[in-house]
Amino acid sequence: MTDALLLEVADRALGDTCTHETIQAAERDGWAPRVWAAVAEVGLHRIALEEGGTLGDALAVLRIAGRHAAPVPLAETGLLAGWLLAGAGLPVGDGPLTVVPGRPEDRVELAGGRLRGVAHRVPWARAAERVVALVPSGDGWLVASAPASSLTVEPHVSLAGEPRDTVAFDGPADVAPAAAGVDADALRHRGALTRVLLMAGALERMSGLTISYTNERVQFGRPVARFQAVQKHLVDGAEDAVLAGMAADGAARAAERGEARFEIAAAKLLANQAAFSATRAAHQAHGAMGMTREYPLHHLSRRLWAWRSEYGDERFWSARLGAAVRRAGADRLYPSITGGSEALIV
Amino acid sequence: MRFAPTELTSAEGALQREVRAFLAAELPRGSFTPGLGMQAGRDRAFSRKLAERGWVGMALPRRYGGGDRSAVERFVVVEELLRWGAPVGHHWVADRQTGPVINRFGTEAQKERFLPAICRGELSFSIGMSEPNSGSDLASVQARATRAEGGWLLNGTKIWTSGAHVNDWFIVLCRTSDEPDRHEGLSQLLVDLRSDGLQVNPIPFLDGTEHFNEVVLRDVFVPDDLVLGEVGMGWAQNTSELAHERGGPDRWLSTYLVVEQFLREHADTPLGERAEGLLGEATARWWGLRQLSLSVARQIDRGEAPSAESALVKEMGTRFEQDVLAAVQRLVDLEPSPDTSSPFERLLVRAVLTAPSFTIRGGTNEVLRSVAARGLRS
Repeated sequence: MTDALLLEVADRALGDTCTHETIQAAERDGWAPRVWAAVAEVGLHRIALEEGGTLGDALAVLRIAGRHAAPVPLAETGLLAGWLLAGAGLPVGDGPLTVVPGRPEDRVELAGGRLRGVAHRVPWARAAERVVALVPSGDGWLVASAPASSLTVEPHVSLAGEPRDTVAFDGPADVAPAAAGVDADALRHRGALTRVLLMAGALERMSGLTISYTNERVQFGRPVARFQAVQKHLVDGAEDAVLAGMAADGAARAAERGEARFEIAAAKLLANQAAFSATRAAHQAHGAMGMTREYPLHHLSRRLWAWRSEYGDERFWSARLGAAVRRAGADRLYPSITGGSEALIV
Repeated sequence: MRFAPTELTSAEGALQREVRAFLAAELPRGSFTPGLGMQAGRDRAFSRKLAERGWVGMALPRRYGGGDRSAVERFVVVEELLRWGAPVGHHWVADRQTGPVINRFGTEAQKERFLPAICRGELSFSIGMSEPNSGSDLASVQARATRAEGGWLLNGTKIWTSGAHVNDWFIVLCRTSDEPDRHEGLSQLLVDLRSDGLQVNPIPFLDGTEHFNEVVLRDVFVPDDLVLGEVGMGWAQNTSELAHERGGPDRWLSTYLVVEQFLREHADTPLGERAEGLLGEATARWWGLRQLSLSVARQIDRGEAPSAESALVKEMGTRFEQDVLAAVQRLVDLEPSPDTSSPFERLLVRAVLTAPSFTIRGGTNEVLRSVAARGLRS
């Protein structure tokens, strides 16, 4: 169980800095220096690394970041790039880091001590001190850490306007074998886990925002939340938030014990499905107000749409989980539902 | 609205293994015709066997024959029975709601009279809430009990009363006085389904089964000692009873066996991406819903009253029961036949013909959304 004080510190650091104006500015400028400074000051990007704390702590903080739509590479720096570097015994440094998620169209290789090739959809590459990539080598995997000075960044963005850059590598990199068990699939699972926590936070906040808005907005002489047709949207959004939230808790708990492949697959699938239905309900309940950039709903809804497609969409994870269920057979179906990774190898 | 994450303790895990072993030995697959969740068959002998294990009336006090077990322990037993398709019909209502409601509101004499027989798996109950003109709006019930020597004379009609033709008793929500606030003046009476003046008329159900009934009450005498709890407190008691009806595994497992049997029958044939994708989606959602439902049970054990949470779980769970069934139907090229000999097709037919009831029985999803929406404001 994560220390309440840590959560309070994280909530304050992110809540104070992730204002509507700051998030808008981050989208315009591609970076949010004040938010990052607040994160760095209390060490939120180093939890589960040298700052101490558990993976569960780092994930709980990530959920808070999702709630505040924090426009910084918190997941990338500590939980992904930092994890790869620390596992390989490479220096982590103190600045923002990012990781190559590994799109099918990427071509990145090591040749003669130099990292070459192109990687796509790399979060905040333009602002990161180092870009970390997992590169196949023979029958193993190497972690390569390239300094910003050694690469060329072509800016691109996600649906939420967050940087998802194309990175061209052609220079020296620090290289070391990845920790045991770390491969592209492990990175995909861990990446998906970060998105699950971010999405759980965003879904909770979106549900709360929709409830507040519809209780304030008056039409036909009463708050629109009093209309049953509108209440359906509130309930739909709350259902998605609690289901994705519970799935995030389950995945985080399982990840502290092991690979958690069942729980991560199931949780990302549920969060992705919620991203469709909850944003639909929230936008419908908000009416035209929710379609403007002046009102903060879009910070959450656009992030949910973006995160949904990162580290595996519904098709990917449902196929993955479904194939495992099928292999295990009918008699193992219910034990898998109750036992998760302890009962089913995904 | 809050759902704290929880998981089974090692003792609860041991109970789960015990129930699984019992079912595998007592009702091996292929040896019986499995049913769909709580609408599975009735088998007095099976109910008695469960009771001998202490798995009926588990959460009732030991001094009335119960097990002094927790809501979570009951959850563990019930989810295994339901997903197995075990014949829980005889004791189902008594175990889920009547026992707990008598324990909470009943007099000492009522507890001593009813609870031990419930815990032995003998006594069966129906639910006497709905009337021809009172469905979701239960405060409008017109069944009325008037004062008589030593008790009450009950008149009215109850409807959609599952199992009234075979069960022993039901709790009737009725008006005992007229008050300015219609939520007052209601009472719950324990009524013997074999009473003089009581007539059970079958109402054929959509799937052709005959468990549904109308119960006509004409001057049925109910002695004072069979008024449950306090005269005039029926609304609050009934609301509490409804909370026991909602949020449990019976609200998301009704079509589980259709999927399990689909998987069993296709063990040796390639499924294809769509079918595997559906299996993945369904498994994920059962996993998530189960954790929410378990969290509700844990809240009950902490002495909280998670009525909005229960309503939310039932709303999501019952819709999912229908969604997963529709998804399976789209996977199979089949003209389902009620006279089939295939176990999968038999379950599918039964599920298709009863699925619309999932989002109606025990509180319509429209009512559940209202209950949940109130919980979201507070």
